[in-house]
Amino acid sequence: MRVGVFICHCGNNIAGTVDVKAVAEEIRKIPGVAHATTYMYTCSEPGQDEIKEAIKKYNLNRIVVAACSPRMHELTFRRTIEKAGLNKYYFEMANIREHISWVGENKEANTKKAIDVITMAVAKVMQDKPLFSSSFKINKRVLVIGGGVAGMQAALDCGDGGLEVVLVEKSPSVGGMMSRLDKTFPTIDCSICILGPKMVDVAQHEKIKLYAYSEIEDIKGYVGNYQIKIRKKATYVDWTKCTGCGACMEKCPSRNAYDYFNFGVAPTRAINIPFPQAIPKKAKIDPNYCRQFTKGKCGVCAKICPTKAINYEMQDEIVTEDVGAIIVASGYSLLDIERLPEYGGGRFPDVISGIQYERLLNASGPTAGHILRPSDNTEPKTVVFVACAGSRDKSIGVPYCSNFCCMYIAKQAILTKDHIPDSQSYVFYMDIRSPGKGYDEFTRRAQEDYGVKYIRGRVSRIYPKGKKMVVRGADTLLGTQVEVEADLVVLGTAVLSNPDAARLAEKLHISYDTFGFYVESHPKLRPVETNTSGVFLAGACQGPKDIPASVGQGSAAASKVLALFSKDMLESDPAVAKVNINKCVGCLKCVRTCPFQAIKENQLRDGRIVADVIETVCAGCGVCTSTCPCGAIQLQHFTDNQILAEVNALCQG
Amino acid sequence: MSMEMLREVVKKVLNEVDVVIGYTEGFDKIHATPLFINTHEQVEKLIWSPICVHNLTTYLPSLKKKVGVIVKGCDSRTLVQYMQEGLINRENIKIIGIPCSGVISVKRLIKAVDHANIEDISFEKDGKINVKTEKGDKTIMLSDVMPDKCKTCQYPTPVVYDHLVGEPISSDKPKESVYGDIVEFDKMTLGDKLNYWLKEFDRCIRCYACRNACPMCICQDSCIAETREPHWISQRLTTQEKLMFHMIHAVHLAGRCVECGECERVCPMGIPVNKLKRKINMDMKDLFDYEPGINPDDKPPMYTFNVDELKIKEHKIG
Amino acid sequence: MSGVDPKQELRIVGFLCNWCSYGGADTAGVSRFKQPTDLRIIRVPCSGRVDPLFVVKALINGADGVLVSGCHPRDCHYSDGNFYARRRLEMLKRLLSFLGIDNRRFHYTWISASEGARWQQTVKDFTEVIHKLGPLNIKREA
Repeated sequence: MRVGVFICHCGNNIAGTVDVKAVAEEIRKIPGVAHATTYMYTCSEPGQDEIKEAIKKYNLNRIVVAACSPRMHELTFRRTIEKAGLNKYYFEMANIREHISWVGENKEANTKKAIDVITMAVAKVMQDKPLFSSSFKINKRVLVIGGGVAGMQAALDCGDGGLEVVLVEKSPSVGGMMSRLDKTFPTIDCSICILGPKMVDVAQHEKIKLYAYSEIEDIKGYVGNYQIKIRKKATYVDWTKCTGCGACMEKCPSRNAYDYFNFGVAPTRAINIPFPQAIPKKAKIDPNYCRQFTKGKCGVCAKICPTKAINYEMQDEIVTEDVGAIIVASGYSLLDIERLPEYGGGRFPDVISGIQYERLLNASGPTAGHILRPSDNTEPKTVVFVACAGSRDKSIGVPYCSNFCCMYIAKQAILTKDHIPDSQSYVFYMDIRSPGKGYDEFTRRAQEDYGVKYIRGRVSRIYPKGKKMVVRGADTLLGTQVEVEADLVVLGTAVLSNPDAARLAEKLHISYDTFGFYVESHPKLRPVETNTSGVFLAGACQGPKDIPASVGQGSAAASKVLALFSKDMLESDPAVAKVNINKCVGCLKCVRTCPFQAIKENQLRDGRIVADVIETVCAGCGVCTSTCPCGAIQLQHFTDNQILAEVNALCQG
Repeated sequence: MSMEMLREVVKKVLNEVDVVIGYTEGFDKIHATPLFINTHEQVEKLIWSPICVHNLTTYLPSLKKKVGVIVKGCDSRTLVQYMQEGLINRENIKIIGIPCSGVISVKRLIKAVDHANIEDISFEKDGKINVKTEKGDKTIMLSDVMPDKCKTCQYPTPVVYDHLVGEPISSDKPKESVYGDIVEFDKMTLGDKLNYWLKEFDRCIRCYACRNACPMCICQDSCIAETREPHWISQRLTTQEKLMFHMIHAVHLAGRCVECGECERVCPMGIPVNKLKRKINMDMKDLFDYEPGINPDDKPPMYTFNVDELKIKEHKIG
Repeated sequence: MSGVDPKQELRIVGFLCNWCSYGGADTAGVSRFKQPTDLRIIRVPCSGRVDPLFVVKALINGADGVLVSGCHPRDCHYSDGNFYARRRLEMLKRLLSFLGIDNRRFHYTWISASEGARWQQTVKDFTEVIHKLGPLNIKREA
């Protein structure tokens, strides 16, 4: 065994607090180490070349690089040694930067620690076995979860790239949050006018199969080969017959149904088409309000429907689709204003959320685009906007910034002036966050051209006074208390993850943060990938995001899928569990504990039962290895012997 | 219980299975030995008395046949554990249960007669044992020469059986007594405990009798104590290596040990090897309300989990 | 800060899952959160890979303390690995003191990749506890 050890200075990042020369000298004394050297930047091209040359010159067959975290450069160096002809699993990294030089203050102690950590890596590399990937065929279809702007963009890009797309949207129409918006910042162009054509494209694209009003029931499989179970929720209307004429909606006697599309600004009918531009433009019954369901008799819609599409007996249906990759664009939700009692959320009708105001501004909204106070349908003359309503507030459990509220509040203030020229808007804000292209100019325009008064400070209380709402808060720039008597108060409510985000994540085997937002593979370098290969993220399911960012991510995720599918075969990760059938006693405890159902029982020709790993399903967690009492199933590259080698290198009796 | 009844049942069972495992006389009057019965004639060799100490179920996982087996209350728990772990096919097993009011500990019996050679022994219903030795006759009480497990036995009647020979007995031992010794031991100082174990395990000769007798040690020839793949321990006879072996045994039996006590019975050095496992069992009961070998539908706690563990609180450092 | 003098260092082994806690330790590094130097980290894919016997092996053979850290419950990269870890490691934690090893020498916890500060605090606190307890030499005490 001839181990080569390459110790990186990382400029001064490591060499500043670790005596790398002394480390190399100590490491050279380890039996089996044939070569140990230091280099200024091992990850640089000349640094990598030096490794390749040393492999030839010193006939090295195992390599240890002591540098930064393996999470950073393990793949880089594996490729390097592969190019030099070594199996890429004959490689270990010792993390002497993040875990040593950057966190330890005493150079002598750091140096000693570096020696130990490299000694452990050398011990492990000596236990390493060559591993080889096998390849398997991929199913070049893609599932997109969520038909908002990010999901639609991803679906269209994949479709245009020639992939078959399965698009699953949980509400009755695609369009998502953007379809609710009136205008978009910073250009004030009409939201549905730019989104509508995309929605139509989705509906008409020959490669896109749309499941609206459907949810993901179950996901099985792995990159290249997923089996998806989709629950088509009962709409009680046969969509193959429904023409979207809207006659049912007009005649429906149940007129108090909650309008999910309009965020409850006004009621809708129990049978409804959510909005005029809906795709698919089909009616659906809300059984919570439909008299046929609540009272057991009515049947008006069934009578009126010209195509006899109504079916009160309809049940949910489960369909299965096979795909090779998944783009998650499941979007976000908004903080319920009732969680802001100090602002009178839910108690005072004239305190509404930003998205509700959006519907009041919209020409196809419940007020046909006239801004009218919910309490008395009069035009408000004074409108107060409260930014950070819940955001950046630990007590609400939302310490983060919701990203786009500053911008839409400026937009809404501008639109208010457009709608009601003699109105005055106020904005209470903590900081104006407008870092996008043309964004800061936009917020300035609101102030300078539209006379919107910006008050820096938090609102402490909102309470009614006659027909007005008194907004009391601090003006931290003037250092005084201020009170504004408003006709209407609009809360820029915090952006939250979807309530069912965690459940979906568990089905997908992807991680989510404390707030339910999905975690990308690397915050900077792999922003649309997840740690589960074959699953990509787009839009606000990963964190609050405005439209351009969501569209960008939709396209980015699509390009990742197209790149993945540019090959016909995929290579499997060989660092999976492997059974030694001579040792396996067939107790099958591993089968019970495997989180991925990747182990099955296998009968050998002599009748003996042993465990058998389905390599492509195994994700490499190693729960089986620590379950197996006889050590017969070993997670490759993290075998008992490999970990024991590290323990023993450190603790020697 | 009468021997006739037992023989009759065994004969009946023998018609349905390939082999029935029971007890017969061993090399002397105080040792029984397992008997594998294939024919009706062999049934006559059967014995049943407090010298029938072995846990005969230990043969079952490796026997791929239809088997009848005679079990005491304690032994029957092994069968339930096998069922939980899918190690036997219940349909292939006929269980002949015998309610048991205690067996002897050979070591304690020999000690009770001052190591005199025992020529004959007979057991009375009231728990008296008449022993005939070279130095004269002696009457002792079974309760004085029982192994510890019998003294706190909660399951004198088998928890699972197809045929029960004899009247069911219910336990008269308080439930709290089961782990009384463990609770007492744990009150010792850390240093005393560590020294106790180091002293005990230092005497281990690594004969692996405890492992071989253990019905739940299913790995047997694949045991990681004797292999280099994986190489958990070396063959060096240091205290640490011995301690490591016994920790492997204990950890591998976590939530699985049915406390039949075979490991301790067979240990030639008299090391209390069952103690660590019983401590874990006590914790399993507390943490997961789980007792091995009682309910065939239970899941062994180390092979399952709850998303919210009610009894496991996050630990503070220190 | 304890353990600054390399001669007084004690031996602390950490088993960290690759996805959360190892990342958390990286984050602490990137943020330059200073820590005592006694700890040596072994990277494993998942806390569910940590056989309690690795901990035993380390303690018996010379470690003075062992720290295991994984993803927060419900947050496991492999969805369930840390749930198994939690049961196994709790079992071990309770067993150690019965064996006569102060179970403060073994700590298991959950730290995410973003919790660099929490990692720093954990290392500081755990190292301090181990220094308070002093070296564990199982052989010598025999």
